[in-house]
Amino acid sequence: MNGQNQENLEELFEQFFAPEQAASAVEDVCKAEQILRENPAPEPDELLIADIKWQIEEALAARKPAWTFRTVAYRVAVAAVIIVVAAIGIQLLQKGPQKPSKIEYALMIPRAIWDSNDISTADADLALLTAEIRQVEDEVLTLELGERRGNGERAVAELEMQLIAINSNFWEG
Amino acid sequence: MAKSDDLAQIIVGCKKGDSRCLTQIVDMYASRCYAYFYRLTGNRTVSDDLLSELFVKLTEKFSSYKGGSFEGWLFRIASNIFHDYLRGKHRRTKLFDARKTQVELETTEPRRSDTEGVDKLQVQLARLDADTKELIMLRFYSELSFKEIAKVRSEPIGTTLSKLHRGLKRLREMME
Repeated sequence: MNGQNQENLEELFEQFFAPEQAASAVEDVCKAEQILRENPAPEPDELLIADIKWQIEEALAARKPAWTFRTVAYRVAVAAVIIVVAAIGIQLLQKGPQKPSKIEYALMIPRAIWDSNDISTADADLALLTAEIRQVEDEVLTLELGERRGNGERAVAELEMQLIAINSNFWEG
Repeated sequence: MAKSDDLAQIIVGCKKGDSRCLTQIVDMYASRCYAYFYRLTGNRTVSDDLLSELFVKLTEKFSSYKGGSFEGWLFRIASNIFHDYLRGKHRRTKLFDARKTQVELETTEPRRSDTEGVDKLQVQLARLDADTKELIMLRFYSELSFKEIAKVRSEPIGTTLSKLHRGLKRLREMME
């Protein structure tokens, strides 16, 4: 830590002075520093040192509440951020695959019905279509039950094709 | 003088606000810092105040110490405190000059207790200009290298060397 012990005065002075001047300068510095060593300054009073130490204790004590408040505030802020992030994460995980919203249901209704101004006709078409679909569904169910009892698959395939045809006719309007 | 490792450990403690470590710093440097202030002011009472101010300021500022020469950092603060004192003294003197009162005489005239035991060195130091005197004291009491002193004073090392050489030569001549 003591920089003076590590420096070579002669080398240092030679960087700025002629060699003879440098030697003389080093001698001047050393002798003057010897004079300073021979004439020591007074020492600080013991009471003064005790008072300084007391002042340091006071300064540290005064600093502590502020430090404590800062630390607590920082920890609370960090905890709040963690809680918020965790809550958002849990919410996202719980949502899973979303159910279609009302708008998405509306999009499933054929454009011809949706765009139609004749509400009564559109309602009648929709009711008819719904009835047809239900009927086919019932038939499929009956056939499926019958299949288990030994009926052929062909009838089921025919009915399914019929159902698909109705369905596509419906979507085409 | 504590070894570098010990000092490093004490400094770490001081940065954490450990009063025991700060007390150790006071024990280690109070004598040198007091001598620095005393040789610059020639007044024990003022030196007492400046030394107290230095260590209280050090306690508050320790977190800003970022490594490097500790003595360099410490004596830079000491030098700033001394300059603040000089500025304050200058302001007070101007104020008193304007009023032309007896107060000026009382404050500028050193008290008997302050002049008691003033050594020959102190008398001769008073004859040097303020900057040279400060440079000599910084060199002698901080124990910093010329390179570090130049850094503390923010001036080229050649300037520091020649100023210090001239000042010490003159002091030597006056003392002999």
